Amino acid sequence: MTALATETRRTTAPAAPGNPRAAVLALALFEARRLLLRLPVLLALAGYAAWIVWRTLQPWDDYPVLQDADRATQGGPLFVGLAALLGANHAVLRSRRRDTERHLGVLVLSQGHRTAAHALSVVPLALLTAAGVAAQFTWEAFKPGAVGTGSAAELVVGPLTVLLFGVLGVLLGRLAPSAVAAPLLVVVFFLLFVGAAFPFAGEESGAAWFAPVVSAAGTHPFPSGLLGRPAGWHALYLAGLALTAALLAVLLSGARTRTVQAALAAALTLTVLGGVVQTSGVPAATTAARQRASVTPEKDQRCVRRGTADYCAFPEWTPRVGDWARVVRRVQALAGGTAHGRRLLVRQRVEARYGLDGDAALAPSTTPYQVTVGTAWGGNRIPEFSTAVAAVLVAGDEKAAGELCDGRMVTVMWLSLAWQSDPEARLRNVRLDDSLTGSAVVLAPTEPLTMTAGQTEVVRTLLDRPSYGVAARVKAHWTELTSPQVTTARAAEILGVHAKVGADRCAE
Amino acid sequence: MSPASLLLPSAQECRMTVTVSASGLGLRYGRTHALDDVSLRLGRGVTGLLGPNGAGKTTLLRVLATAVPADEGAFTVLGHDPATARGRQELRRELGYLPQTPGFHPDFTPFEFVDYVAILKELTDRAARHREVRRVLAEAGLDEVRGKRVKKLSGGMRQRVALAAALVGDPGFLVLDEPTVGLDPEQRMRFREVIARAGEDRTVLLSTHQTEDVAMLCHRVLVMAGGRIRFAGTPAELTARAAGRVWSSTGRDPGAKAGWRTGAGTFRNVGDPPEGADLLEPTLEDGYLLTLDGDPAEVTA
Repeated sequence: MTALATETRRTTAPAAPGNPRAAVLALALFEARRLLLRLPVLLALAGYAAWIVWRTLQPWDDYPVLQDADRATQGGPLFVGLAALLGANHAVLRSRRRDTERHLGVLVLSQGHRTAAHALSVVPLALLTAAGVAAQFTWEAFKPGAVGTGSAAELVVGPLTVLLFGVLGVLLGRLAPSAVAAPLLVVVFFLLFVGAAFPFAGEESGAAWFAPVVSAAGTHPFPSGLLGRPAGWHALYLAGLALTAALLAVLLSGARTRTVQAALAAALTLTVLGGVVQTSGVPAATTAARQRASVTPEKDQRCVRRGTADYCAFPEWTPRVGDWARVVRRVQALAGGTAHGRRLLVRQRVEARYGLDGDAALAPSTTPYQVTVGTAWGGNRIPEFSTAVAAVLVAGDEKAAGELCDGRMVTVMWLSLAWQSDPEARLRNVRLDDSLTGSAVVLAPTEPLTMTAGQTEVVRTLLDRPSYGVAARVKAHWTELTSPQVTTARAAEILGVHAKVGADRCAE
Repeated sequence: MSPASLLLPSAQECRMTVTVSASGLGLRYGRTHALDDVSLRLGRGVTGLLGPNGAGKTTLLRVLATAVPADEGAFTVLGHDPATARGRQELRRELGYLPQTPGFHPDFTPFEFVDYVAILKELTDRAARHREVRRVLAEAGLDEVRGKRVKKLSGGMRQRVALAAALVGDPGFLVLDEPTVGLDPEQRMRFREVIARAGEDRTVLLSTHQTEDVAMLCHRVLVMAGGRIRFAGTPAELTARAAGRVWSSTGRDPGAKAGWRTGAGTFRNVGDPPEGADLLEPTLEDGYLLTLDGDPAEVTA
């Protein structure tokens, strides 16, 4: 025979006998590569990366609270999950759609093994999502203003959601082998996410936890001990659900072995266990802790003295005392009379009695020279706290400050804003309607204050002037400017503002 | 003589070991006997399977490839009995199957598609598998297009991809269902080369309508009709069936079973020649035609 014949001899041994596990792994890697290169997945990953960057660059996110930042990682992966559902379903239906099953059906690896490989092929995408979650959380944690502690159970929700949706795509391919089933399901899920229309979405307990992401969150972060979220059980529920869906898909593919059946039973048990425990509501100890933190926060707080003020905060927030102290120092530096050296108590307060998603306002304190500071910081929270400090220095306590309806409001707002960069922008920030003219509600950590149109005009005129000139007049006329009898017109006159200001009418 | 014909294994070489053995295979689709008491024995080398449409060729190949189970009878391939799950798995490890109209994943490249099939054949070592994929792609003449999407390949190229997929893993039993259908002469020649090489040390069962393919490639031939084997023997034996039954005439002989005008202007007749007819050298096709028209009892399986 010829050289040509020699090269045609069987060059390799026949397929190595029976290592289906290794073959499943090899197929999973093959399918994973294809899944990661599918257009919907690439678009979802690009969108997810952009979302992470956009979110972490927001100025209001400069002072993250890590027990909230972990939860904030859960939204973006939902869309990666939808892409995973589409991609995995597409891969499962590939043989059927292209009529290759007649060929592939006689190959060694059974359909059950191939289904297992499809389910496993979602794992790398889930790991990629985990890397995104880790990057996002690490970025937050390394911001100079970060406080608090994150939860690993909350952080795994995003990757588990991707895994669950991908596996659902595999299961759907076995249950309803139609090319339209997955896109329809994706549309339904998309509407539910975008419209937050998951049944009971936003609730803190109960059936809400059957949804993959439960992002119940009010406007104010809680100390981590008050969260009461069954994050660990929810992660177990999601992992169990993903495992159940995967094993069910394998079972439907014909692999009805005892091992698969036993694993399915175990996965189902984990799902039920996680599902039931997570919906059992907020533990009694957490409810009691919330009550205590809301009513008697001093029992849980640590206090430190900085300059003329004492700062009492929940332990996780003590690194933020320096930020608060800078504001207090700047406001007091502009004040006159006894207020300049007045000893203040800055107490951090939280209203936790109505749960995480409660939005109840903090009641103003009646304790003299006690200023409330919330658990959020950064953005508008800084001028709001500055206003609270100024109001207490002028009115004596928060309750009285909330009732200001005279010329003292001019002094309060000038003290609050004059030290800040771009004070006019801060004025806009601190007013509820973001206006710079007319009357408006002014936000503060507790009850809001009100500014009349006249007071607004006077304050804006003062903010346009060099602060040292105004500060001199404020200090010189402190007693009169902080007297309950001072009208806005009189305050304007004292401070050298020539403006037509009518009588003070708070209802204006 | 073509290079492919040089590679044909001799009948002696291939008569040595029985690798595929079937007895009494039967399969019905409703009232139709797709397979009716089919028995056969195959050894190494290329065995051609001839028969008209509906003869049961594809059904027989699908049964032997374990794509469908037979209703009756039994068979073994390389000692593996597909009646048991383990035997079926072992058989599939030795199987290379090219279906009649193979499907493709159009977004795959030939490399990806064959690699995918290789994984399904449990070739798990990545480096070794990729070497094997490159080898069969080269053998099928797909080296230059292995990175192109299958959807951009011609029909002939796609058929070669399917052949490469059947060859990957170096199977001991190769089942090819009309692999040369729709190919141009050059592509068919290339296919013959590959199949001939494959048949050197494997058992290849080749279903085809092309008697020319059988004549050039096979050391044995089976003829099926009506779900039964009508002939089993060597191509020379099939050809010999037409000895003395092919003749030339100036017009179509009314007694001929088939007759047609040749390029020389005379008629070539097949059947029972009249006295003193001008007899011609028979071909395999003549033998095939006469076998289909003959008595099933003559089968020599």
